Amino acid sequence: MSKAMLIDTTKCIGCRACQVACKSWNDLKAERATFSETWSNPRFLSSHQYNRIIFQEIQRPDGQFQWHFISRRCMHCLDPACESVCPVGAIQKLKDGPVVYDDGRCIGCRYCMMACPFQVPKFEWESAVPLVRKCTFCPERQAEGLAPACATVCPTGALTFGERSQLLKEGHRRIGANPGRYHPEVYGEKIVGGTSKLYLTAVSFEELGLNHRGFRTDLGDVPYGIYGRQWMAKVPWVALTVGGLAVGLHYINKRRAEIQAQEHKED
Amino acid sequence: MTGKEPISLGRKILYAICGLGLLSALLRLFLGLGATTNLNDAYPWGLWISFDVLAGVALAGGGFTMAATIYIFNLKKFEPLLRPAKLSAFLGYLMFIIGLTLDLGQPWRIYHPMIMWNPHSVLFEVAWCVMLYTTVLALDLFIIGLERYGKESWVKFFRDIYLVLVVAGVILSTLHQSSLGALYLLLPEKMSDLWYSQAIGPLFFTSAVIGGMSVIVLESLISAWAYKRKPEMSILPSFAKGLSLVLLVYFCMKVTDLYARGATVWVFDKAHFFFYLELFGTVALPAILLSFPEIRNTQRGLYLGAGLSAFGVVLNRFNVSLTSYGGYRAFSYFPSIFEIIITISLIAAAILIFDLGTRYLPLYKSELSGEAG
Repeated sequence: MSKAMLIDTTKCIGCRACQVACKSWNDLKAERATFSETWSNPRFLSSHQYNRIIFQEIQRPDGQFQWHFISRRCMHCLDPACESVCPVGAIQKLKDGPVVYDDGRCIGCRYCMMACPFQVPKFEWESAVPLVRKCTFCPERQAEGLAPACATVCPTGALTFGERSQLLKEGHRRIGANPGRYHPEVYGEKIVGGTSKLYLTAVSFEELGLNHRGFRTDLGDVPYGIYGRQWMAKVPWVALTVGGLAVGLHYINKRRAEIQAQEHKED
Repeated sequence: MTGKEPISLGRKILYAICGLGLLSALLRLFLGLGATTNLNDAYPWGLWISFDVLAGVALAGGGFTMAATIYIFNLKKFEPLLRPAKLSAFLGYLMFIIGLTLDLGQPWRIYHPMIMWNPHSVLFEVAWCVMLYTTVLALDLFIIGLERYGKESWVKFFRDIYLVLVVAGVILSTLHQSSLGALYLLLPEKMSDLWYSQAIGPLFFTSAVIGGMSVIVLESLISAWAYKRKPEMSILPSFAKGLSLVLLVYFCMKVTDLYARGATVWVFDKAHFFFYLELFGTVALPAILLSFPEIRNTQRGLYLGAGLSAFGVVLNRFNVSLTSYGGYRAFSYFPSIFEIIITISLIAAAILIFDLGTRYLPLYKSELSGEAG
């Protein structure tokens, strides 16, 4: 049984209580806010910012302007690319749901950051002994039977914590009960093999303009780790083939040279 | 050449660059990656991965290429090129390991892949292959060292089992040269379709053969010039003909791959400029140049052909790891002065050690008399 979180963005009011709760539970350092062309603050996820709300104002086809508030954090994939690529096995998907990271193993190669289809893992660039950081899905709270910090504080019920199978059902129930309110798809149900964060949105991520900002819709339903694992499955066979060919060709070519030398002598 | 002559100006410059590099490396270790590099969350991998790791390993492909040429394909006339190729390959890997160590966030944990395994990870396999292959190259140089000190019985022992080393080297090289490309199999949505391909492994392997061969040609010409020897013009043109054939094969592989994937080739933007430069300027052009006997029989022709193809391999690695990834993010990346100094000083250090090796090791001696049976 694997835990998940249903993120109903239509219920989010952009209060950022989840950001604050995350900071205080994980004891992360504060960031000085800056003015920018967007209302989102901070501007990016970082090694001390595990979640943030993207404030997105879009114009609907009927000309109406609309605000949308999308909470961004680690998706906790069911079959994570980061876990698959880590050369030292520092990242692990727990069967309860969280994708966790072992500080003691990481060598800092940053392949997880390259491979993550949602660009979630971030690096402690400012440190001389840097580690990778991202949302942990609060496994230590889950072990105590508590919901993750962000879900606990959400005042509108936009973040629901529970069993993945039940939350999926609930997501589809909401879509079915209120077809006008929701885009008819649960983001995270199938993408890259499914994730433990399930998103309900009012319109598609393309229309939100976020499909190139962490919520890609062109990732397919295959877990990305498979591309690496397929390659690794071939490695022993390639090694055997190349080794066999090398030894065989060595003796054949040597024998051929000997025969040529012999014929040369006989002439 | 004796070791007693005064240090030439060239060597002084190289030593100065190495000193600067050492200083930059210390700064990098004590201040961290953020303070000394332009890497960031949008560009976790930069110049060091593109050049020191990807391009460096490909250019050091000469070791296994030459070993295969001599011992597996039995083309013994190329033997004078073998030992310098082994030395330069070893130095290539040594510099790559130093570069990678500085790139790691936790350099002192570089041994972790030996004891903490993840057999699903392509990078895990690369780590092991590189580790083992560098050991093979080091053993090979150790044998050459034994020769210098006249340990004949030891040398004979190693020559008797030498085929094992050659085959191990060829297997390990085939695996990690292609797997360095396979690292990028997991980045389909981030890369331009000019370079993202399911065939990137075989493409990386073939271009590593090109990198290795062209460096062998360049290294032979340059060291002849530096030590005032006669270049091996009796064998280099014929070797360059082989290079031109491999370039042709690689060109066909690239074109087939692009066609099969239906990549958008005929557009003009920055990425496509580098793509055209790579495919036509550094693959097709040297393949054509070196196919003419009039060109490959001259030193200048060899310099041009081999220089272009070596540059092409480097350009390809930059294209795969930076150009192709660039269109994905609104941010841009240009290496910091420390990243550049460290990269240049690694090259300078390699040249200096090669110089030492040339003077103290029997690099131009035949080893085929005691060849593995």
